[in-house]
Formats: sequence, C-alpha cells, structure tokens
Amino acid sequence: MKILVAVRQVPDAESRLEVSEGNLDLSRASLVLDGMDEYAVEEALLLREAGLEAELIAVAVGAAALEETLRAALAMGLDRARLLVGELADPLAVARAVAEVARDEQADLILTGSQQSDWDSQALGPAIAACLGWPQVSWCHALQLDGGVLRGRHDVEGGSAAFEVALPAVVTTQQGLNEPRYPTLPNIRRSRSKEVRSESIPVTLADGWQLVAQGSAAKARLGQRIAVSDPQEAAAELLSWLEQTAKVRL
Amino acid sequence: MNDLPGGHFLLGRPEPGAVTIREALDPELLQIERLAKSFVQREILPVMDRLENQEQGLAQDLLRRAAALGLAGTEVPSAYGGLDLPKLASLLVAESLGPAGGFAVTFGAHQSIGALPLVYFGSEQQRQKYLPRLVSAEWVAAYALTEPESGSDAQAARAQATLQEDGSFLLSGTKMWISNAGFADLFTVFAQVPTAQGPRLSAFLVERSWPGVSTGPEEHKLGIRSSSTRRLILDAVPVPADHLLGQVGQGAKIAFNILNVGRYKLAAGALGATKVALSQAAGYALQRQQFGRPIGRFGLIQEKLAQIATRLFAVESALYRLVGAIDARIVAGVPPIAATEEYAVECSALKVLGSELLDFAVDENLQIHGGYGYSADLPVERAYRDSRINRIFEGTNEINRLLIPGLLLRRAERGTLPLLPALREAQAKLLEPPRPVQDPLGAAAQTIDSIKGLTLLLAGKALQRFGDQLEERQEVLARLADLCMAAYAADAALLRTERLGRPESAVAMTRIYAAEAAAQAGAVAGELAPVLAEGDEARLLQRAGQRLQPLLDLTALRRRVALEVLDRGGPLGFGS
Repeated sequence: MKILVAVRQVPDAESRLEVSEGNLDLSRASLVLDGMDEYAVEEALLLREAGLEAELIAVAVGAAALEETLRAALAMGLDRARLLVGELADPLAVARAVAEVARDEQADLILTGSQQSDWDSQALGPAIAACLGWPQVSWCHALQLDGGVLRGRHDVEGGSAAFEVALPAVVTTQQGLNEPRYPTLPNIRRSRSKEVRSESIPVTLADGWQLVAQGSAAKARLGQRIAVSDPQEAAAELLSWLEQTAKVRL
Repeated sequence: MNDLPGGHFLLGRPEPGAVTIREALDPELLQIERLAKSFVQREILPVMDRLENQEQGLAQDLLRRAAALGLAGTEVPSAYGGLDLPKLASLLVAESLGPAGGFAVTFGAHQSIGALPLVYFGSEQQRQKYLPRLVSAEWVAAYALTEPESGSDAQAARAQATLQEDGSFLLSGTKMWISNAGFADLFTVFAQVPTAQGPRLSAFLVERSWPGVSTGPEEHKLGIRSSSTRRLILDAVPVPADHLLGQVGQGAKIAFNILNVGRYKLAAGALGATKVALSQAAGYALQRQQFGRPIGRFGLIQEKLAQIATRLFAVESALYRLVGAIDARIVAGVPPIAATEEYAVECSALKVLGSELLDFAVDENLQIHGGYGYSADLPVERAYRDSRINRIFEGTNEINRLLIPGLLLRRAERGTLPLLPALREAQAKLLEPPRPVQDPLGAAAQTIDSIKGLTLLLAGKALQRFGDQLEERQEVLARLADLCMAAYAADAALLRTERLGRPESAVAMTRIYAAEAAAQAGAVAGELAPVLAEGDEARLLQRAGQRLQPLLDLTALRRRVALEVLDRGGPLGFGS
C-alpha cells in the first residue's frame, strides 16, 4: 500500500520574522518542516515499523523552496517525494493538488498535520478528504492499522473519542500521537539522493473563487511598555493604549 | 577557483568567489546544523544543571545519544562506520555545540582530539578495532598530552614507554587536565621512548581497563564544570606492540597535527557561544529599563553590542573561509592532515581570534546584565566562567601567537612562501601615496592592504634587527601575530561582504573592523618603531602607522550596527 504524507513549510519558531510595509517578509526567515506535519511523518514510519508493507511518499504544494522541506521529511525516513510547484492561493487549491497526487499514486492513506503552525489553518486535511470523497479523522492522538481498518482516538468537542475507519482515509495528526524522531546524519545523507519528483501545476482556484488580493497583514512590534506597577492603573493604561494607539475597537 | 595557499594572506587577496561563506553552504550541511542545534536545544540545555553537578553517567548517555544521530562520525571514513563528511560538517556541529559549555568539551575531546589521532594515524587493524566503537560512543575517547610539568612545552613530556624484549612497551607517567578522563575507555597517550638517539616522543593507544591505568579525582574548575577533567596515572602499564600509534618518534607530528584541527574547532565552539551571548545581551538591553528607557538606547550599551557583532562577523567570515579552503584541498586530493597543516597559521589565528572574541562577548554580556549577570541564577554567569579555558587549552594564546610569525618565517626560509621579496618591497609600497577611492568598501580594502604592508615592513625590520635572536623577542612576535590575525579576518569580512552583494550592515561592520585593525596596527608600529629602528627611521615607522587610520565616524557606524542587532535580537545573519 501507499501512504501519502502532505507536508508544509513554516518559519522556524526560533527565527525572527520581519515586517515590511504591513506584509510579513519571509525572504530572510529560515523555513522548516512544520512541526505538526512531523507527527504525520513519524506516524507513517511507525505504521511501517509495526509491520505494514507500505511505500511512504511525501507531498508538498507551493514554492520550489519546498524541496528542502521535503528533504527533511525524507531524512526522517520517507521513501520519495512529489513536489507540485505553483503559486496557490488557498488550502482548497492545495488540497485539490494533493488529491490529484493521491489519485495518481493510488494512495490508501493520507496523513497530514491537524493545523498549520504558522497561521493556524486547519483546512488542508478535511479539504483533501472532501476532494477525494474519503472519510477523515482529525486531531488524531492514537492510531493503529489492522488489515485495512484504522483504529485510534481523536479529539472531539469536550474530550476524546475512539474511532474505527476503513481505508482509504485521511487522518490529521497532532502532539501526543508520537515523538517525532531526529533525522540522523546517515539519513540526511541518504535523503539527498532520494527522488523528489518536481512538476509545475497551473494556478487553480476552487470553483467560483476569484483571487482578489494576497498578502499578510502584520505589524512590527511597537516596542511600547507600560511602566506602572499598580495593576489597575496598568490595565487602564493598556486599554487606552489599545484604543488610541493601536486603534483596536473595543 | 581556490583560496590562496596557507600563509599567503599577507601577500594578496583572492577573488570573493574563491572563499567559502556561511551563507552559501550546501543545504545538506544546513540540515546537519539544524539537527545538531535541535539536539543541543532539546537534550542538552534542559539538563545543564544536572550536567554541571556531574550526575553519574549523564554525560556518557548524552554522548551516546549524539552519536546515535551520527554526530560523532562526521570525520570517520565510512569503512569504520563513519560518514566522512566535509570538514565544514564537523565545524557546524562544533559551532552548534558551543553554547553547551562543558558538554561541548566532552564531545570535542571524544569526537575530535580523541578519535582523530586514530583516523589519521591509526593502522588498519587499530582503526577496525576502535573506530566503530568511537563512532557509536560505545567507547569514549580522550587525548592525553599535557603533564604536571609540561604544558606548553609538550615535547618535554616525561612519561616514558620503554621497549621490552617482546616488542611491547612498559608505560609510566602522569598526564594532567585530561578531558573525559572520568569515563574515557581509550586514551591517546604521548610518551617518550628511549632510543639510541635519545628519547623520542611517541603516541600509544591505551585502554582504561589495562592493569596500571587509573585516574585521579575530579579537578575543581572555574568553568566547564559539566566536563570531566582528571589526571591519568600510568603505572608500569604493559602496552602491546600493536598499540603504538604511527611510529616511534612520530608523537610530535601526531600531537600538533591533531591540535590544528582542535584549534579551528575551538573557534567554532566559541563562535556558537558568542552568538548566544549576543542574543542574550540584545534581548536584555531591550528589556531592562533605566532612566525611563531601555538601556539598549544608550550609546555605551550600543557600542558593546556593535563591537561584539562586528568581531563576530569578522571571525565567522575567517573561520568559514579557512575550513572551506581546507575542504577544497581535500576535494582536490590532498590528505586531510596535509590540507590542515597547509593552513596551520590560519588555524592558530582562529584559535586566538575565536577564544578572545568569546571572552570579550561573555564579559560585555555580563556587564550589560549588571548585577543580574553576576548572579548564578542566569546562564550568563556560567558562560562567563566556561569561556576562560579557551585561551588556555589547545595551545595557549601566547603559544599560538608565537606560532603565527614563527611558521610564516620558517616557510619563507624553506622557500614555500615568497615572504622575503615582499618584505623588501614593503617600505617602498607603504610610502606610495594612496589612490583616491570612492566607495567605502574599496577604502576598507585599501586600509587592509596598508595594514598588510605595514606588517611586512615591521617583520622585515625585526628580522634585520634581531636575526636569529628574533625567537627570543616574544613581545615583537606577538604584536606581529596580532596584525596578521587582524589582516586575515578583515580580508575575510571584506570578501564575504563582496560575495553577499554588499548589504549595508555588512559593509558597515567591515569598515569598522578594518578601521579598528588600522588603529591597532598604528599602535603596534608606534610601539615597535623605537625597538626596531633608531632616529629618522624610527620616526618614519611611527608615522607609517599613524597614516593608516582612516578618517571615519566609527561612533555613527557602530550605532547603526547596534540598532540592527537590537532589531534582530542578536547576531546579524545574511542568510536566504
């Protein structure tokens, strides 16, 4: 069988983000494999190490620079990667591209992080499932596979629930599911010669969608400091500052 | 396109494209760096207090975990379980480990000076027997050269290995300040073998479990407390013939060649620790308020931040330039030891530059933190203590300063470095009127060229004046070494700035560094002028030094750099 792991690239949490003219400037940021997706990569490896015969394929959609993120997933142990290079506007379009790859590869299981750790979008996993008409289990924190049936537990409103789902399916991963391994040096070496198949895809938006503008609204830190020790006075000053300087409507 | 051969930096400058810069490293190397950094962040720093208390078994356990990731095998050939990566890989690992203080020493004593004697000088059988165990850190290695009575004068070691009738040796002596001695399984021990021609320093592979091998109690140290440091006591230890490393009499060659590697690795660790110190300093300078504003807005704090950032930029440029040049030679087929020896002068320069940069950075970081920095509650205090050893081990900075002009002159005598004609031309060149230069970086290049010219002129005068007795003029030699180091690092900063496409803050730092080097050169010339010459000639030398100083508003340039350090919250990187 084939397991597809959809990975994303996010700014390193340790790196400093720069803002220029109201837009986030990532040109000097160091971009890394999303920690949320690392749980997905690790889970694919664990399923195979538990005895499953599977080919593990990383997939990413977006800028050509995603190749390094795919290599990071390969360095953890995935077998090969597919990179779809295109300027895509929204998670639905990314999901459609991933779904195309899933059809092309005849994948049985798709794993991806529950939430993108830069701007917190949770759409990708459910959107892929919708595109393929597959069942999806989100926020999964325990998983095993017995002969084509996935069993595990995932978060639901107010707690967690056991689930059972037949393949093919989409599962989104989160902290607690496993402890992602380090890419060892020998694996980093090997990952450099693993296949990353790169192809360009046209800009596609979901039906009825139209791209009006694209960008991020960000503000540089204003570096203000409330230097009052009385908590009530400090709170009052914060409120007035938010209203008047930061123009937050309260 | 290659960098200049070793020691040639006083005589010319390569094209910017010929030098390695940190920003143009291979993505694979960056992946390795990311792994090493996250290992330190996630596995080492959280248990630093336990390591500092020397919790039994913890250091070995962490060393094994680092080794399981492959970090101990970067320089070992694949036939023995290693990865045989470019030297830049082990450099990045050393830099990443730098902030881990004593654990960085533990790791370096094992992976670098512990295992490398075997890698480079071991027999096939010796390598097969030990290297796989060292790559996995199942066994821990240590390097035992220093003795209670012989430190800098390493060749005066008294430990003795007497040849027995069956070809084996009987080894006795005491080795001092041995890192990893508390738990190392394999020691590279240097000892004199008495021969008909007199004692010959030789190296031996000695296992801990052998009869007669023991260690003293843990030393109580100012810093790097998380590393184990003990005496190694050898009491009539029978050493089988096949545990001689290399040949009888090769001890000095092995010891000093391994130290060349240890020296640039030390600089790498210092660089990593300096980056952390600068980030801490910048963060605190923004957070700490005095007189109604963050102290980072004050000129004297900004000056400190800019000075650390500028020296960091220059030393980092020099270090990657050096190791890139060594790697280029290895790729061209030169054996690693010979490739490193080619750049022995630069290795010594980096050892001094790196250790003194870190000492400066931790000291100013503590100063910026004030009383809080002096308190053991913050890691600033530990970093201050941990830094100090770097000016002592891997050859004291004094010894390394003497090595720089010493090696250059020896190469000149042997004819491998065309230094003597350059010495003769230096005076005429220095008296030429400077060409008018418009752009700031071009002016910096001209300043650096003049520093080199002055260095050559002073060296020539020193040779003339003292001849064979120059060796005894350590004060003169050390001043010359300072100018050599400044010239090499300033050139590296300049070349990197060119390669980066002249980003504004890199240009500013290069100008500052070159101007500071010129001021230093001027002071050296002023001091040496009456030592090396008399009357008019002495005054000429003094004036030649004064003429170097560019008219530059350093305060404004430093403030610019400092503001960017504050904005970035640490070192100025120029990565993608």
